[in-house]
This record gives sequence, C-alpha cells and structure tokens, in this order.
Amino acid sequence: MKMKTMAAAILGIALFGMYACSKDDNSGNTNQPIQTVTASNIVADTILGIAPSGQPYGSGKFTFFSLERNAVVPSSDSATNKWDIGFRGTTIITNSGNSGLGQGGAFVYVGLFDDLLTIPTDSVFRVDNAPSSYAIPTGSNRGWYVYNAPVNLVTPVPGRVLVIRTATGKYAKIEILNYYRGGVTPAATASDDEKLRNQRFYTFRYRFQPDGTKTF
Amino acid sequence: MRMYLSFLCCMIAGVTAAQQKPVDTMFDRQLEEVVVTANRSERKLSNVTVPTTLIAQKTIRQSGSLRLHEILGEQTGLFITQSFGRGVQMQGLSPDYTLILLNGEPLIGRTGGVLDLSRVAVGNIKRIEIVKGPSSSLYGSEALGGVINIITDQATGRKLQADLRYGRFQTIDASLNGTIRSGKWTAGGFVNHNSSQGYSLKPNSLTKTVEPFWRFTGQGNLAYQLNQDSRFNLDLRYAQEQIQNSIAVQNLGTVVVSKGRETNHDLNILPSYSYRFNQRLKTSFRGYISQFRSQQALEVKNLVQGYDDQFRQDFYRIENQTDIHISEKLETNVGGGFIKEYVASNRYDSLSTRRANQVGYVFFQQEWRPVEKLTLIAGLRYDANQAYASVWSPKLSLQYRINERWSVTGSAGRGFKAPDFRQLYLNFTNVAAGSYSVFGSLVAKDEVLALQSAGQIDQLMPAFEKLADLKPETSTGLNAGVQYRYGSSGRVQLNIFRNDISNLILTDIIAYKTNGGQIFSYLNISEAFTQGFDVEAGWKFWKYLDVSGGYQFLSTADKAVLEQIDAGQVFKRDEQTGVSSRLTRSDYAGLPGRSKHMANLKFFYNPSSEKWFASARIVYRSGWGTTDLDGNGIINRDDEFAAVFALVNISGGYTVLPGLRVMAGIDNLFNYTDEVNLPGQPGINPYITLSADFKKIKNRSKTK
Repeated sequence: MKMKTMAAAILGIALFGMYACSKDDNSGNTNQPIQTVTASNIVADTILGIAPSGQPYGSGKFTFFSLERNAVVPSSDSATNKWDIGFRGTTIITNSGNSGLGQGGAFVYVGLFDDLLTIPTDSVFRVDNAPSSYAIPTGSNRGWYVYNAPVNLVTPVPGRVLVIRTATGKYAKIEILNYYRGGVTPAATASDDEKLRNQRFYTFRYRFQPDGTKTF
Repeated sequence: MRMYLSFLCCMIAGVTAAQQKPVDTMFDRQLEEVVVTANRSERKLSNVTVPTTLIAQKTIRQSGSLRLHEILGEQTGLFITQSFGRGVQMQGLSPDYTLILLNGEPLIGRTGGVLDLSRVAVGNIKRIEIVKGPSSSLYGSEALGGVINIITDQATGRKLQADLRYGRFQTIDASLNGTIRSGKWTAGGFVNHNSSQGYSLKPNSLTKTVEPFWRFTGQGNLAYQLNQDSRFNLDLRYAQEQIQNSIAVQNLGTVVVSKGRETNHDLNILPSYSYRFNQRLKTSFRGYISQFRSQQALEVKNLVQGYDDQFRQDFYRIENQTDIHISEKLETNVGGGFIKEYVASNRYDSLSTRRANQVGYVFFQQEWRPVEKLTLIAGLRYDANQAYASVWSPKLSLQYRINERWSVTGSAGRGFKAPDFRQLYLNFTNVAAGSYSVFGSLVAKDEVLALQSAGQIDQLMPAFEKLADLKPETSTGLNAGVQYRYGSSGRVQLNIFRNDISNLILTDIIAYKTNGGQIFSYLNISEAFTQGFDVEAGWKFWKYLDVSGGYQFLSTADKAVLEQIDAGQVFKRDEQTGVSSRLTRSDYAGLPGRSKHMANLKFFYNPSSEKWFASARIVYRSGWGTTDLDGNGIINRDDEFAAVFALVNISGGYTVLPGLRVMAGIDNLFNYTDEVNLPGQPGINPYITLSADFKKIKNRSKTK
C-alpha cells in the first residue's frame, strides 16, 4: 500500500508538468532541516531522429541544472557558476574541470541514499576531463546506469549515490531514479521506437546541503 | 615416479609369491550390472560406494539418441548447457568440472572450458557410466564434479548392423556397426554420418540459430587375445565436423554478411596391453594419443584479411595400473603415469609457439572389507604439474549393506582442475563487438602495460593489482546416500551432496581502454558451493513396463556474494519508485545457470516378444538465472531468469521382419522453444529410423 502511494505520488509529480519540480517550502532557510527533493522529467537531449547509420541522434546539447535552486538553467549560462550538473543522454557532467568554470566535482558512492549521512573524509572528488573521463564515469555499469543490450533499456544501478560538489563548492547527494519519460521504464517487450522516444528523461531525488558542510 | 615403480615391483613380487587358491568374490561377474568407472576396476553396480548411474545401450537406442548430450540430458541431475557447444552440468557444477572419458581416456578439445558433447556419436556405445562427486583421487584434473565414461562396443562375435535416420531440418544420420572374430583376433568398426540443414528460431533473420553442419565419426577396435591371461587392444577414433558459419554485422546501416566455416577434428589412439599374472594380480599398460584441431575461418566481404582462428591441442599419455587382489577382504589398485600436453593457437600468440605442460602422477586405492556387510575404500593421488602447483587428491568412501534390500553409502573426496592453457595464455581482442579483450593470467600484465605505454588505457581496475599465478581450482565433495533394492524389479535411492569449491577461476575486468573497451583476465577470485539431493526410483511392472523417475534439488551460492549481502553491500532497486534498498540472502538466487528443481519421468515398454517397444520421457527444469540485468552483479530479479520448461519425447519401434526394425519418434512433442536461453532446442523434432541387423536377417534366410 505504502509503495503504491509513493508510486502514485511520484507519478503525480511527473504528470504535474515537464520541467516542473516539486519544491520544498524552506529551501532558502538554513535553520530548517534540509529536505529530499525529487526532480522529474529533466530532458537530457532527447532523440530527434535516427541517422541513416541506424544511430539515434539529438541536438547534442546539455541540459544544465542547479541543485541549489532546483531548476533547469538556460544554456546561455553554461559558462557561469549558476549550474551544478548537466545531462546529455547517459552522460552527466559536473561544473568542473573542462566542463565548466565552477568548483564542482563528484564521485560515485556505493551504498544507499538514506545511509549516506556524512561524506566520508577520505573521499576523493573527481573532476571532468571530457571527453576521455568524467567525474561521474560514463559507460554501462561504470557510473550510475547499466545498459541491457538484449532489451535495449537503460536502468540505474542499485545502490549508487552521486556525491556532488556544486559549482560554488557546496555538497549534495543524488539518486537517479529513472531515465525514461514520466519516471516509467518501458516494458522489455515494448518496441525499440517506443524505448527511444521515451528515453533521456531524468527523474532523480537529491539532498542539497546549503551550509557548505558535508553532512546531509 | 621411481618410488611408485619400486613399490609396484615389491607388491607384484609379494603377491606372486603368496599365490594361493583363488577366492574371487570381487571379480565375480554374474548377470548383475558391472561398472568400471567408480573404482577403476570392475565392480557390481550394487557394490559401489559412490553415486553411480549406468545407461545401457538399449536405453540409448530406444531413446533415439544420436549424440552424447541427448541421452545425458535425460538423466537425473544432469543439465545440458548451451554455450560453447553442449556441456554437462553435474551436481550444479559447470561443464568445466566434469571429466569426459572415452573407454577410460579423457576426451580433449574444450572451448571456453566446455567439451562439446555433440561431437560424440553414441551409435556404438555399449554403456555410459556416470560417477558423481570428486573423483580426482583416481582420475586427476577435471574430475572435480564427477566423471562420465563412455564405453564403446567391444567385439564379441560376428555382427553387422546398419541404421538410417531421417528427421526434421533434413537431419540425416547413417551408421554402420560391425564386428568380426577370428581365432584370437577380434575386430570392430563403426562409421557414422550425421548432418543437418540447421534451423532458425528467429523469423526473417539473416543468420540461422544453428547453422548447417556435417559430421563424420569413424571408430575401430582391434584386439588380440594371446592367451587367457594376456590381451592386446587397440581403440581408434576419428571424428570430424564442419559447421557452416555466417555472421551478419550491422555497420553504418549496411549489413555485412560474412561466410565462414568451422572445422573440428578429433583423433584418439588408445593401445593397451593387459596381463593377468594369476587370479590375484592383474596389470595393464595403456598408451594414449589424442589430437584436437579446430579452425574457424571467416571471409568478410570487401575485407582482404578475413578471420582465421586456429586451435591445436595434443595429448600424450602412458600409464600403468595394477590391481592386486590380496585376499577376500583386501584389494589394492595402484597406478601411475605421465602426461605431455601441447597447445598452439593464434588465439594465444602465434601457431608456431607451442605451449606445453607435463604431469607425472601416481595413485593408490585400497579397498577393505572388515566384515561382509561393510566396504571401506581409501584412495590417494598425487599429480606433479610442471606449470602449476602439485596436487594431492584423497578420497574416502564406504558402503554398508544393512540387509539384502537396504544399504547406505558415504564418500568424501577432493577434486581439482588445473588452470587450462586458455586461462594462462589467451590473447584475444574482439574488434567487432565493443573492442573488448581477454588476456590469460600469465600474459595480462605485460599486455596491459604495453597498451598503457601506448596511451590506450583509461583506467586500471583493482583486479589488475590482484593478477597472480593461477592456482588449481579445488573442491571438497561429500555424498551420503541410502539405497533400496527389490530384487531386479525395483530400486529407490537417495543421495545428499555438498561441494565446496575454492580458488574458482573467473574472469574479471582488469582495465578499461580509452575507447571504452573492457579488458578481462582470469583470477582465482571466488569460492562457491553447490548442495542438494537427488532421488531416483525405478520399478518394473509386469516384467515389460519400466517406469523410472528422478528429481534433484539444488542450491548454490558464491560465498563472496553471501558475505557481501551479510555486510549490506549488495543492493536492489524498486522498479516502480526507482529507489534502491539492501538485498537479503533470500533475494539471491545463487550461481547463474542453475535450476533449483530438475526432474524426469520415463516409461519404457518392452513386451517379451521383443517385436516392438514404446517409450515416453519427460524432462522438467525450473527457471534458472541467466544474466544480471540490473547491474548488481547477481541474479535476483524475476526477469533475470529463463522460463521453466518441460520437454516430452516419445519413440516407438516395430520389428517388421526378423532383423529389420522401423523406429519412429518425436522429440519435444509440444514444440517448446526459447530462442534466447535454449538456442540448441529446435522445437518439435520428428524422425524415422530404419535398422537392419544382418546377422538376424541371415539367420532367417537360413531357417527358410
């Protein structure tokens, strides 16, 4: 019952609108305990068509996102500190290294989102060095997702938390929940066309610590 | 080695001197079924101390089996795996860990650890003996999970038989089997042709699921019985198979179809000489030469250099075994031998570099019957390997006969499998599929470092630092059983087993290339167990209906995974909410490819007139883990399982005229297919066979 309610809630949020995110009321107030926020249907360079080669293609542009403001940031602000992470297909960049001007960084923590209360002191934040390596490693079962070739589906690897250092040097933790439109993974039996049309829509939950500490 | 020889001489001298009136209960051969594999010498099936199954020639013929995997797939607790050909899984252990013998000598030519059982024709097999549990104390490497010994027809008189079968997919199987006897000489020959046009389980696919193949097997046996005590024997076998090979690769929207051919050759030469000094002492010398040649050639359109993959393996062995019947209560089997093995392949480095290994070994087995009802057997073997650490393989077993009907058995033993050439020397890069590489453990470090200095390595994984000399994989196996026999008409037996495997060799990712390709190598990374029980029962009704059934319950696990689960380091994901949580032991389905439940039920109807027969066999298997889909490395989700299935096979035969029989059958009556998990199962498969026994036909014309 509880599961169903939760699923319904998430579905409700998803249906609420594209690009819309559920905002908690106290995001600016550091005295209040921080809350877990769910961002839904963040478009990540959705597929525009299939090239003659058979490869699907998009516009090739990243969607930038601010964890602090819980909002999508326009591409015109790509060379600023206004965004923390960016999405394009399965690639997630951080505002760090050669991806951006910010003080960002990230690493993939193996464990549960709720269990990560303090970032371990010996953690090493990586920075982007596109295209050969990213703070959040790309590739199936190397970073946050696994790609199942037989059914042509991308799903998040269980027990992976993306620990993010934001553009301004604050910390957040993210759990990617889904890669498909509306937060619903198509059935394995669905057509390839349906799988392609509905992919590259991120749903994730995260906790942002505005006070600059490493505790959540 | 020297120690063994001097020991042997002492024993022979001692026993020859102590020659007395022969009391031969253990060599006693009555009408009862006799097996040779369990003890490496003849024993009544009812007297063996380890789980042993015997498949008789009549069963093989009436089941309509043509190749070895077909008949083995109908046995309790055996499952036929379908990668790298047909392998056999026994007590939940992979095909790599079952030794396959032909007349007591190992068949070679494994691919990916699997000996493809479909290379073996069964038309002239007299019986198949299956021994479950570690048997390295007698047979050395590979006999970790058990031993399957195929014993071919030995000439006993004059016989000539021909069989011709036609089945679906233009399957043609023709064989001729004959023996003659002249004075002290006996000779036998068997030739078989087996071919099929293959089939496609995927409609409109460019390539077939099973491509057209053609196979030939020729076998010969020549024996010379010098006198009552002295016998020369020569077994020969040559088998060849050709598989048409076509691969379709989609590249930039255009489909490139490459045509190729896979050719495999098997050659086995087994000369032996046995001499019986007296009723108490028997010795035999055996030589064995086996060669396996495999070639996969592929011509890619518009590509000058095609693909040519070659693998050559040579196996030479000399061996002596001496059986000493000390008294009614004591029997000793002692032996030793020397193996030299070579492999060359362009999968390793080049065909001109031959990798070699040599093994010297001695074994000793003591059987002791302190009281009439109790048999105790202790065995020990020592294998001195050139390429790997030496191995001791002990085994203890016992049987206690409570009364005429009931008996109990128990055994504990160690088994091992030496690392194979592939695990040491493989050097393989698949450019077509994701550019992944697999390197043998002895060459991996150098290869990766060379790639690294060329700037082609993105990341070294923790497993890279763990690369080390591979140790033999070992297992400790326990078997305990209860048997009930009701004369010759009924039997029920239960066997409980547990196998603990250490130093399991698995592939692990040691590095990533800058183009994203993975690099794998072999490491002793894991410990696993398989445990369960099997029950077999057979009953004969009204002397002509044989009903038998079997069931195996199996539970397996990778011990490292269990530890990780207990430490809370393995996770699952709720597919509805996307939220991860901890996984518990009950979510873990154990090693992939293992079914919890397997069962079979068989009916054979043979009226006393022997004019006709009928059989129906049902084989059931519960779902088994296939691949990890959610990325947590283990089998836990429902969609990570292959579906439950049951196959029903029927057959019947009718003797039209004396010596002339028509047989027809339908395998997989209900047309079950699973293109992903059972590519080798073509669906419903009717066939018809004509058999002629020329000796009977001749007798008939004589009586006319």
